Amino acid sequence: MLAIVRSTLIVLVLGLVVGTVMAFLAVFFVDGVVWLNSKLFIEPRSRMLASDAFWLPWVTIIVPTAGGLIVGILCLGIAERRAHNPADAIYAAQSLDSYMSVKSGAITGVSSFLALGTGCSVGQYGALAHLGASVGSWISRIFHGSKSYGTIGIGCGVAAAISAAFNAPIAGLIFAHEVILRHYSLRAFAPITVAAALGYVVSSVIFERPPIIHVESLFVEESYEFALFALIGVLGAFISVAFMRILLFINSYSAKSFLPLPIRTMLAGLAVGLIALELPEVLGIGREVLRFAIIEEAFTFGELGQIFIAKLMLTALCLGVGVAGGVFSPSLLIGILFGAMFGLGIEFFAEDIRSHIAIYAICGMVAVASPVIGAPLTSILIVFELTHNYELATAAMVSVVFANLVTLRIFGRSLFDKQLEHRGYDLSMGRDKVVMEQRKVADFVSDDYTRVLAKDSLQHVYEVLCRDQRTEAYVVNSSGYYLGTIGLVDLGKHSLKGKSMNVDVESYAKPESIIFNTDTSIWQAMEGVGNFQGESIPVVERGILKGVVTEAMVVEAYMNCVEEIRREENAT
Amino acid sequence: MLRSAILKIVGLALFLVGWGATHTVWAEDTLTIATWGGAYEKSQEIALFAPFTEKTGIKIETVPYSGSIEPLKLMDLDDMENHWDIVDMVMSDNMEACDLGLIEPIDHELLLDAPDGTPATEDFFPNTLAPCGVANVMYAMVIAFNIENYHNQRPRRVADLFDLEMFPGKRALPRNPHALVEWALRSYDVPVSDLYNLLSTNRGIDLAFRKLTQIKDHIIWWDEPDEAVNLLVSGEALMAAGYNGRFFNAAVYEKHPIQTMWDGHVYEYGMWSIVKNTPRRDMAERFINFATETARMAEQAKYISYGPARSSAVERVWMDSGGAVDIRSYLPTHPTNLAKGIAKDYEWYSQVQDRLKHRFSQWIQENEL
Repeated sequence: MLAIVRSTLIVLVLGLVVGTVMAFLAVFFVDGVVWLNSKLFIEPRSRMLASDAFWLPWVTIIVPTAGGLIVGILCLGIAERRAHNPADAIYAAQSLDSYMSVKSGAITGVSSFLALGTGCSVGQYGALAHLGASVGSWISRIFHGSKSYGTIGIGCGVAAAISAAFNAPIAGLIFAHEVILRHYSLRAFAPITVAAALGYVVSSVIFERPPIIHVESLFVEESYEFALFALIGVLGAFISVAFMRILLFINSYSAKSFLPLPIRTMLAGLAVGLIALELPEVLGIGREVLRFAIIEEAFTFGELGQIFIAKLMLTALCLGVGVAGGVFSPSLLIGILFGAMFGLGIEFFAEDIRSHIAIYAICGMVAVASPVIGAPLTSILIVFELTHNYELATAAMVSVVFANLVTLRIFGRSLFDKQLEHRGYDLSMGRDKVVMEQRKVADFVSDDYTRVLAKDSLQHVYEVLCRDQRTEAYVVNSSGYYLGTIGLVDLGKHSLKGKSMNVDVESYAKPESIIFNTDTSIWQAMEGVGNFQGESIPVVERGILKGVVTEAMVVEAYMNCVEEIRREENAT
Repeated sequence: MLRSAILKIVGLALFLVGWGATHTVWAEDTLTIATWGGAYEKSQEIALFAPFTEKTGIKIETVPYSGSIEPLKLMDLDDMENHWDIVDMVMSDNMEACDLGLIEPIDHELLLDAPDGTPATEDFFPNTLAPCGVANVMYAMVIAFNIENYHNQRPRRVADLFDLEMFPGKRALPRNPHALVEWALRSYDVPVSDLYNLLSTNRGIDLAFRKLTQIKDHIIWWDEPDEAVNLLVSGEALMAAGYNGRFFNAAVYEKHPIQTMWDGHVYEYGMWSIVKNTPRRDMAERFINFATETARMAEQAKYISYGPARSSAVERVWMDSGGAVDIRSYLPTHPTNLAKGIAKDYEWYSQVQDRLKHRFSQWIQENEL
């Protein structure tokens, strides 16, 4: 009883500490980017103040180019030679030790900050979510005790970051569960809620900041418009999938390129700067575009289309070649432009039959953005918490649901899942698979088997097996290489045919139908043992026999894994 | 270019003729201060000018001024005798004039400490001491309306200024774009903190003028600040944009049924500025020193509802001169008022106002207003 109280208190304190630290970090990150944007002539006001200067076009080109170069150089310091992103946080949270490297986290955080500050076309929420997960994982190591603190720490950091960045505590709480943790554990829920609430308090009470979307008194004029919102969802899914496919294509193409990372990211920055000479809206997060897109008549259809295409391509380029940063805010921007285009498009067919353009814009925004990060619930809640408008949230919900349904069918759950899949981790089977992919059969390999040499005679093998009371012997050569297995039944058949038992076993041993390596995971082992007939399965390392595992041992390891996962998720 | 030069010369000639006629008598110990007239100048007269003359024997002449740096540009700054000594300028004009070398730098170390010993540089509000200026009062451009015209629902938000359906009738607005563009964009629900960012794009400016176009046939333009009050009082306009102190004066002292809507008020500071090359620079500095002392600033607030620019003075403000009205809630510095306000971005204005005014006059022409 005392232990339960104690551990509950510890995780609450963990939520408190991680939440506070991350909330302040998030606010400084967001405000720091705004400050850097104003100093580096990214934001419109500072560009206006310098609009007479001959050097403004040059600065517009040089700043993102230099930003790309610096970010590329910094990311060389990360082991994988790429900036990390929320997919890495998801992976860490799915594995039971929930370890995130301090170095990768810090470099990714600083790089994302610089990329955003210099106006590269990337997002801030993904960067913040990853930073939150890293901070949570680092702090949880101070509280060393239970393994599950790591997962809880990651959840708390992510929740606080999203809650502080959006002024949306419930969305932060849900985001941590829906996107990162992917399970609802009773024990994690309380501390993550504490962290999300702290994020909100710090960002909206201590530092007053306006929400990214602000609307007043909007309502849906006609009930049939809900059908249009569903259509926005379907079309949004196709845009979303196109965006992700282009991004992944550039990513795989750029990985094969002979150009070093800093040159690739520099060229992406250069592209942003050049396009920005004509379309300054593509620079950075594009807060102004978000504001304008929900104002009736701020854009013509053509202007929306231009910025939409430019932003989509530049974001896919920047993130594809490896500029650090998130994918969510550009998706919001691409989506809101699409939504506004849809709204204007409806006008072509029939005038004055639609609600305010803001409703269409916001539906489009979440229809495109939610499938990218795989967060339908979070997206609906963001709309609700930012606008406090029930009707708008309901409209957005319709779009989100259709968008995610279509995306799941034609693409997958999210960009992050696809990225992890490319790295060889399949999250479609849930967390169990990730954990079991990490556990290796080498951890429980047994010495309890009969080992014979290639030059031993069949008679000798027969005697040894009778002595050990086993049915199978494992044949190795003088260097310990596994050559094959011979069973008591084979020996019996040989003897009944009246053949000599004084021949070498070497030519009679046959390799087992299944052979595990020391790095075979439990998941692979489980898939293998299904059709296995024999007594036990040999485990080799570069050909050398290390031992055996039995079917029962594999099943036991599997059960242990499942139990451990459930214990972590349901522990009180 | 040539045309504008000719205009300037003609303007200068007219200006000097007119000015010479009213200021024929000139004395060594007279300071010439350009200020804004009306209830505001009256408050300066009672709280600052008269006590200063009494204390130092230096007389003060005032000349009418209604903003912009054009009069300073037209003035012959080398003519030692015939020019202004001090101008009460808005912050953006002050900064632009300072950049152009039309006014003198001011040493803030000379300013008097607060009564409790706090140095002036800490006692003044942030960003109120400029290289060429010392802030005197915080005033605000507000929207006010005549209560008698609104029986059911009164305007309460900036957006109501543009809402002809709910609030029909004429609006009295200043014939310049200041505050109007902020309000126009604000009426689209743009958060205050993003206003100047959005106004820095062509799209934002276009939207603002589009909004103004919607009410263009319902505008009465004013040129002198007191006209705003007069138009409201006479009933010619039902809503008016103007300086908060003048509406306060009309409502509280003249008992007119005028109410100020504080939503979206655009506040800024007035700045004492010393005209370049004045032979009476010492006297001008003495005056600024005297007028920005805590007690003087608090005294002035009793006569007009503009907020003093230093905190020690704000703390002293309570009753008006008659001892009848708690004037604190009428000041733009009052917390609930300040929270609804828009801080005028004077740095932005000092760069952008020429372009903005050009766009404004273009718009006026296009719409034949």
